[in-house]
Amino acid sequence: MNPAVHMDGITKRFPGVVANDDVDLAVERGSVHALLGENGAGKTTLMNVLYGLYEPTEGTVRLDGEPQSFDSPRDAIDAGVGMIHQHFMLVDPMTVWENVVLGNEPTTWGGLRVDREAAREAVVELSERYGFDVDPDAKIADISVGEQQRVEILKALYRGADVLIMDEPTAVLTPQEVEELYGVFDELTEQGKTIIFISHKLGEALSAADEITVLRDGVNVGTVASGDVTREELAEMMVGREVLMDPATSPQDAGDTVLEVTDLCVDDDRGVEVVSDLSFRLRGGEILGVAGVDGNGQSQLVEAITGLRDAASGDVRYRGESMVGKTRRHRIDRGMAFIPEDRQERGLVMSYDLVENGILGSQHDPPFARGGRLDWGASRGHAESVIEQYDVRPPDADAEAESLSGGNQQKFIVGREFERDPELVVATHPTRGVDIGSTEFLHDRLLELRSEGKAVLLVSSKLDEVQGLSDRLAVMHGGSFTGVVDPSTVTEEEIGLLMAGESLDDDSVEGAALHDDAGDGIDGSTAGGEEVDA
Amino acid sequence: MSDPDADRTPSVLARLVAPFVDRSVAERLVISVAAILLSIAVGFALVLVSGRIAQCSTAAWTMPFTGLGFCYNPVEVYVVLFNGALGYPFAVGEPGLFNAGWTPFNLSLGLTLSETTLLIFTGLSVAVAFRAGLFNIGTQGQLVVGALATALTVLALAPLLPAGPIAGVVLIGVGTAAGAVGGGIWGAIPGALKAYADANEVITTIMLNFVAANVAYVLVLEVFRAEGSSVVATRYVPEYAQFRPWLFPPSSDFALLALLVGVAFIGALYYFVEHTSVGYDLRTSGVQAAAAEYGGVNAKLTTVRAMTLSGALGGIGGSVWVLMSEGRWMASIPDLGFDGITVSILAGNNPIGVLPAAFLFGILKGGALEIGFRTDVPTELVAVLRGLIILFVAMPEFFRMIGRYTGVAGGAGGAVSTGPEETAGGDGGETDA
Repeated sequence: MNPAVHMDGITKRFPGVVANDDVDLAVERGSVHALLGENGAGKTTLMNVLYGLYEPTEGTVRLDGEPQSFDSPRDAIDAGVGMIHQHFMLVDPMTVWENVVLGNEPTTWGGLRVDREAAREAVVELSERYGFDVDPDAKIADISVGEQQRVEILKALYRGADVLIMDEPTAVLTPQEVEELYGVFDELTEQGKTIIFISHKLGEALSAADEITVLRDGVNVGTVASGDVTREELAEMMVGREVLMDPATSPQDAGDTVLEVTDLCVDDDRGVEVVSDLSFRLRGGEILGVAGVDGNGQSQLVEAITGLRDAASGDVRYRGESMVGKTRRHRIDRGMAFIPEDRQERGLVMSYDLVENGILGSQHDPPFARGGRLDWGASRGHAESVIEQYDVRPPDADAEAESLSGGNQQKFIVGREFERDPELVVATHPTRGVDIGSTEFLHDRLLELRSEGKAVLLVSSKLDEVQGLSDRLAVMHGGSFTGVVDPSTVTEEEIGLLMAGESLDDDSVEGAALHDDAGDGIDGSTAGGEEVDA
Repeated sequence: MSDPDADRTPSVLARLVAPFVDRSVAERLVISVAAILLSIAVGFALVLVSGRIAQCSTAAWTMPFTGLGFCYNPVEVYVVLFNGALGYPFAVGEPGLFNAGWTPFNLSLGLTLSETTLLIFTGLSVAVAFRAGLFNIGTQGQLVVGALATALTVLALAPLLPAGPIAGVVLIGVGTAAGAVGGGIWGAIPGALKAYADANEVITTIMLNFVAANVAYVLVLEVFRAEGSSVVATRYVPEYAQFRPWLFPPSSDFALLALLVGVAFIGALYYFVEHTSVGYDLRTSGVQAAAAEYGGVNAKLTTVRAMTLSGALGGIGGSVWVLMSEGRWMASIPDLGFDGITVSILAGNNPIGVLPAAFLFGILKGGALEIGFRTDVPTELVAVLRGLIILFVAMPEFFRMIGRYTGVAGGAGGAVSTGPEETAGGDGGETDA
């Protein structure tokens, strides 16, 4: 029997770049296949070829043994290939069933009227067949990210997809939602669907996939059955050398309090309170990790600390000075570095080259500016040194930020902020989209800053990252810390529970206050809140 | 990170705008030249059609092969438009490429350059606001206020100083500064309204245009009107306090010195935008406000600053209009401020680009006058031809701006993100092999 998907000798060249070099990929019907690799390894390119977004320079794509030639995703969809992008393409104010049928609505009256009843019926039938627990009449805006993902899957199924491509499907999910997604995989494969998912997370590929194909530098390094391979072996295949899985943290004596947040309340853009009475203290030489599912107030907390958003009430003291009413400029001047969540929106000016981006935030300070005049020579030197130290590719200071891949954009931002010689680093998802080799380097730099006595507030959705690096780990849910735990003793399940808003029994929470004498602030935040009663 | 579908299936707007975004300078030039040729082709047809409809005793032009006669000669119209605007440097219908008797210091070129000079200032005014992401539609009002401030200041100070060149230099300097202050204040008002009351600057600047025009009119009508004047105008400022035509015929109202001042302003503004910290703040706010905020740029202050600077440049345009063109403030002020918007768009909001853009406008203005002198083509039709050229030339740049502001292309909005992360990169592809 022919494999459901058979890509044979796929080569895809872009000007100056070979993104895929003679890649073979065979995926059996009814199996889950993980496409694993670092950023820039060519995973997405390969899938875009399969989805008809790119035409391969060489090579053929066969579905069930039939050679295919896709001019556009439309052709791919017609041939039964569906793709679920990392960022969902759903219309928020519309309902689930409306989103599913959008673009392929059943019509009556010769195409003039959408047959709403039939459409809804079809969606209900589909979601029941696959055991999806989604309310067809709920609005997209009102459902969870995990449910939205299922709507995307339904969309693909509704269009007749037999092969589902998912681009980093777990990136936006909680650990529990990830488990549910794996359940969905089982359901789909039982019914004969084939799933290919892109990932750069080893654990995920091992637990969800039947087979794993590792890409490196656009080349297929090997395809292995997930039962026959270890984490370390996979990691080695990805980066081509052995990597240390856990960054080495050594105990560190905490210094003076650098950042103190007291009873902080922050509203979001709609005026809804999303950070509630939050208090904590961060010392020099300490990394405080903040874990949590995106959208639980982390963004607003960070914005209030860094001066991008006014606090509704409460106080943020930085190096002994209250920051209430102080500008962002003032905070930068006082040595606060900030790696923002959204690199393309905030962290970089997309149309500027790296020389110009290298001084973003320092555009009024020596050595880049003297007497109001910018010194482009010094700026260029700075950009080039960041590019070199942080391995930004391509190593071209004149490249516009938008021409860089996401991981390289991130490396440049992190480099710029770390080289600011800061007292406090507020790092939001510092290694998001960055490949393993560079992640390791960024982690080392973060630990170096810590050993230099700098304070680090690390907000990340990568559990292993916050867990591996932090001295203390705060878990945020619904605008407050549901727990501050010792990352070396806490389990992933416990963190998952905290992320879901449930509290742990007191043991593990108390154990966490270790670096925080007198437990100031922390207890208030754990106790404060409805979670205690829950 | 990326969603390739957005690249593949952009909205209608994106598809419309996309070809004009991210063009190199050379491509833009080619596009501009093609646009001019296309507009001439369309204008050619228009001249023919109206030439067929119009009544005349002898045909100005007979179409080859068909023998159809037309009242207006489209070839002549365009030859006169461009050649005439420069004072006929090119020999047409005579041997040789150039007219032997041509000198650059002729009346036609003077008129063209006079218009160019004024439009440099209003073009810069609009451009600097655009660069900060602000639509200053109020340059006209700022120019009116600046012009009045200049006229009144010079008239008030002139009697205090002994007439002569030194007084002239002082009066021109102080008068221009007064224009900058007047226009600057008039620009700062909508800037502050935008920054602190969230009032849309497009609306407020348009409204302030009317306020400026009418308040100035009433002031001059009731208080500052020159005795015995039949029009609503102030007294003339002394001749020694005006930019005097030099080399060019006096009737051209063109002073080379004023043009040089304009060019100096172009250079200064370019330097300001590209090489100063405040300029960096300003253009960063313009291209990506969220990143500017992240970089510690005070958005409110930058808005007020940019609008003040924009207004001041418009005000200086008013000063030059008074001190070079009219010699006094009068109620019928030409639409220099509004033309400045088109000049700025044409220039891609780049200070350097304002020079050729303003010159093209000057040519169209000077050429239109020539067509009036030399041919029977009605001025209304000439205005249509000018409009066509501007429309065609400005459109690609205009599309580009729409693209930027709606985030379809490059930068800010990021509706189209950087392209598939792994593919655009390839960079990562080279990771230690």
